[in-house]
Amino acid sequence: MRGDNRPKVGIFGLTGCAGDQLQILNCEDELLWLAAAVEIVDWVMVKSDNDSNCRLDIAFVEGAVATERDLETLKILRARSAFLVAIGTCAVWGGLPAMRNDISREILEREVCGTDLEDLDTIEARPATDFVPFDLRLSGCPIERNEFLQTVRSLLAGTVPELPVAPVCWECKTRENLCRVIYDHEVCCGAMTRAGCGARCPSHGVACSGCRGPVEEPNYDANITMFADRGISWKEISARMRSFSAPVWMTLGLEREVDHE
Amino acid sequence: MSSTRTITIPHLGRVEGHGGIFVKVVGETVHEVNMDIHEGSRYYEALLVGKHFLEVQGIITRVCAICSANHTVATLTALEKALGISETERVHKLRGLLLLGAAVESHALHVFALALPDYLGFDSVMAMAVDYPEEVTFALRLKQLGNRVQELVGGRPVHPINTLVGGFGKLPSHRALEALRAELVQALDPLMRFVDLAAEIEVPRWAAQPTVYMALRPITEGYRFRGESICTSLGEEFPAEAYGNVVREFTVEHSHAKHAALASGDTYMVGALARLKLWGGRLEGRALEAFELLFPDGVADNILLNNWAQLVEIVLGLERGAELCDELLAMPEAQHEMAEYEVRAGRGVGAVEAPRGTLFHEYELDGEGLVVSANVITPTAQNLANTERDLRLAAENLLIEEPRRDDTELRLNLEMVARAYDPCISCSVHVVRGDS
Repeated sequence: MRGDNRPKVGIFGLTGCAGDQLQILNCEDELLWLAAAVEIVDWVMVKSDNDSNCRLDIAFVEGAVATERDLETLKILRARSAFLVAIGTCAVWGGLPAMRNDISREILEREVCGTDLEDLDTIEARPATDFVPFDLRLSGCPIERNEFLQTVRSLLAGTVPELPVAPVCWECKTRENLCRVIYDHEVCCGAMTRAGCGARCPSHGVACSGCRGPVEEPNYDANITMFADRGISWKEISARMRSFSAPVWMTLGLEREVDHE
Repeated sequence: MSSTRTITIPHLGRVEGHGGIFVKVVGETVHEVNMDIHEGSRYYEALLVGKHFLEVQGIITRVCAICSANHTVATLTALEKALGISETERVHKLRGLLLLGAAVESHALHVFALALPDYLGFDSVMAMAVDYPEEVTFALRLKQLGNRVQELVGGRPVHPINTLVGGFGKLPSHRALEALRAELVQALDPLMRFVDLAAEIEVPRWAAQPTVYMALRPITEGYRFRGESICTSLGEEFPAEAYGNVVREFTVEHSHAKHAALASGDTYMVGALARLKLWGGRLEGRALEAFELLFPDGVADNILLNNWAQLVEIVLGLERGAELCDELLAMPEAQHEMAEYEVRAGRGVGAVEAPRGTLFHEYELDGEGLVVSANVITPTAQNLANTERDLRLAAENLLIEEPRRDDTELRLNLEMVARAYDPCISCSVHVVRGDS
């Protein structure tokens, strides 16, 4: 469109489940507003006529970097984009694809495929944020729709969104749930995990699995001790912690818990 | 000397995941047709080894967002078989409702947002909304309704969290079920108007050829998305546990995902068209009406009709979804439902009909409930070989019809074939185990 001064937006996926892109499509009430408010020029999952070279004002990227191709795509995206947003736990923290980076890809390959494929370009899965600078990070597996919309609205207004910094535990208390750790002796990651989900899992009677990634400065040691004090075995603790934020917990002491096993 | 022409679609648009199409034509013969899958590998099955069974669903559902409810039900079914747990009636009905919600959401997304723009000449559903605002708004509402079902039953639209081995964390209230039921019923009439419109769209026949179809025999006499045995249009039937002998996987050079064929060597199609071919006779009510309107001469062999088969299943989803709400409302209201069970060693297979076709999960647990081995076979992986077969035929027919047909048109037509399968490429990659 000539004279179109709407921001040019691209939405992309590296290695992942497409869940964060799906969450954007799941904003059914706002999708047509979004398509009018910004100019979506590159979104392979949804459009067939994409401009894969133009400059982008805002780019959203989901997924982990798990192939050389992902890394190339990501570097090109960084170069193309004025404002780069990581969407979802895989892009921000590595997510489940990165939970067993202690096992070599060759071994995983053999276990899953039964053979070694020669031209496989798979590398250790790592968060996209490890490779290039990002301007904003939206956690969540998948992202929360309202956080995505809030981000778009803020960026359109020339500002950045205020994202929750408190842990899920705080939201859980406001919903008056009984604590899964204290009353049920479960490994619940709510005290170490970034809020924004409304403590959805504990409100359904399910312990937090930490899918939104760690809060800033999580008190990892105190949490692990709290689990152990409730009689939960080291084996269970280390198994449960080795999930969405495993790469982060590994730097904070998860290796030690594994040794306890 | 005959000239060589290649048609390359590096990144197939309007599908989930990363894939492309490569066609090589020498003279007038189509020499090579590849559906390239270049999605990265995540090795979920290997990552599951050693995990406790209670963690499995939350991990394996992340294989794919669009099919997350289907992976969830297949996983829970397999784990419960391994542990010797039988589903209570309420849990069975709720899981059935969840699968219907997933089908409505996924099919609405595919039919209206991913496939239909080809038939109406648009690049995306957003572009289509400019000329068809009411239709697109309704299609989005329909998709949202599918998500609402998944939210109510599974706790959220993507990657359910309320679905547990043995039951549910929290049961939907009667009030919520009543509200959902009303919405499902309300959407039926406007949806049937879409069916009328769709019945008028002419579906090209250049990809039509005799095909073998596979689907689960529905668990009851109706048209259902769960089953215990695998049926093919060749008249064969096998227990779901024998899936490893029925689905023969093989690796191909150009794809990160394996391909599959039957023991006979036939490639086959799974998905809505296959289900209608095998079980369309079981439809009732408005779904039957839609079936008869869209398939006046029965299910014809033509992959492009898979879009209309999905449309029939959306009608079924709303209708049967409302029925299931009624059945759940007839039960006493409760907060929780959880089977009592003891952890034991075992092995179990769970099979469901995902929107894209038959999905298999298998787990082996040790005495502590830790995963010894896991295997998942997805519908898209099963469809890949057949997709290439249809792409080849389409390329041949289109070039016979008009040898100088330009690349842009040819590309679009080939994309339509690939899209008709509704491929879910994230699912297909390397979640298959080789014959060891």
